[in-house]
Amino acid sequence: MSLTHLNARGEAHMVDVADKPESRREASASGLIRMRPATLALLAEGGLPKGDVLATARIAGIQAAKRTHELIPLCHALALSKVAVDFDLDEKHACVHVTATCRLNGRTGVEMEALTAVSVACLTLYDMCKAVDKEMEIGAIHLETKTGGKSGDYRREAPSAPATSVIEAAAAPIVTGEGAAGEVSVGTRCDIAAPCIRVKCLAELRERLGVGDVSVPFNDLPSADVAGLKAALKAQDPSFEGLDQGRVLCAVNQVMAGDATPLTDNDEVAFFPPVTGG
Amino acid sequence: MIRVQRETFDAGAEQRALLDDRSDVGAVVSFTGLVRDFNERPEVQALTLEHYPGMTEAALQAIVEEAETRWPLQGVTVIHRIGRLAPADPIVLVVVASAHRRAAFEACDFIMDYLKTRAPFWKKEHTASGDYWVSERDGDHQDARRWEFSS
Repeated sequence: MSLTHLNARGEAHMVDVADKPESRREASASGLIRMRPATLALLAEGGLPKGDVLATARIAGIQAAKRTHELIPLCHALALSKVAVDFDLDEKHACVHVTATCRLNGRTGVEMEALTAVSVACLTLYDMCKAVDKEMEIGAIHLETKTGGKSGDYRREAPSAPATSVIEAAAAPIVTGEGAAGEVSVGTRCDIAAPCIRVKCLAELRERLGVGDVSVPFNDLPSADVAGLKAALKAQDPSFEGLDQGRVLCAVNQVMAGDATPLTDNDEVAFFPPVTGG
Repeated sequence: MIRVQRETFDAGAEQRALLDDRSDVGAVVSFTGLVRDFNERPEVQALTLEHYPGMTEAALQAIVEEAETRWPLQGVTVIHRIGRLAPADPIVLVVVASAHRRAAFEACDFIMDYLKTRAPFWKKEHTASGDYWVSERDGDHQDARRWEFSS
């Protein structure tokens, strides 16, 4: 294997791609910026002094992808057909995951554009949030996938660098509970002897909080309702602050409920994100 | 009849079963939802459907009962699949039988709108650029709200 940006004398040069056939090229890159949980919460609720952080960072990433050739010396100027920049707020690990996908029909790959988009989106997130948090850290910027072109398709294998360890391997979602089709699940019994509430976190919320099933002693509830249960959960584990982030729905004994719904011993309370079936 | 199952289904067979030995049905409307290969991201390779056993069946039953109070229906079948599905696989089937077509069309539409906003199913999509949980769509809520002002 040789470095295509060096010529026979080892000097840097721009590769002539005029004779390469056009093909559909796509590349995805990702990275993340870690920040204090309080900063992330402000970001999520739009409470930062510079305004809409994610929209600004998205535009910055898209603009950066288009101007990659101005930044990276031997990159070609490309007419990208698509640039998408996405953010995933990760409360559990107090970071924002940034992904960028670039596409074109052309003669050169677009991985530099995707990597540049992620980098500049991360820098913009830093700029937008630095008034409240100067300790933010950008990291784990890497190519995820690349398709098209002579060198063939590439897909990054499982994370190897320690910096990416905060990104959990995407485990296959399990189907919660023990009920079979057509019968009503009674759920598991409390796993503690005292009166207690059985709590389930479902789907995306389970992965975000890192908790599926948990039992809460009934006497820990400051008030005998769902709001009291949330308070007891947060006292037990700060990651349950995530119950207040985004839209989280609640069911008591498998019927939709709210913060004021009263609870009694051995009730089953499920928290879950908005439904997306059908 | 309401079923939540991993296995696929045969829409034709389910419709025939619903109509079996009946001659009072004047119209039957069948809707099948399929897995698309693009959604929030391109190149959806598979999706995994999670649900909340027990509540799922109760929620679907409540939706069907609500439809039966709004339209004169003679039979309803709802089947929703769970687990891992590939593009082009059927996900959901709603078959509605009635004496007249308008009731069957509207009730089928209603059941799907309410299913998408009220039944505890969640989709995780597996794409070329990674896995992600599908987020709710405003359009689905707008569709469901149409039924609050009619009937």
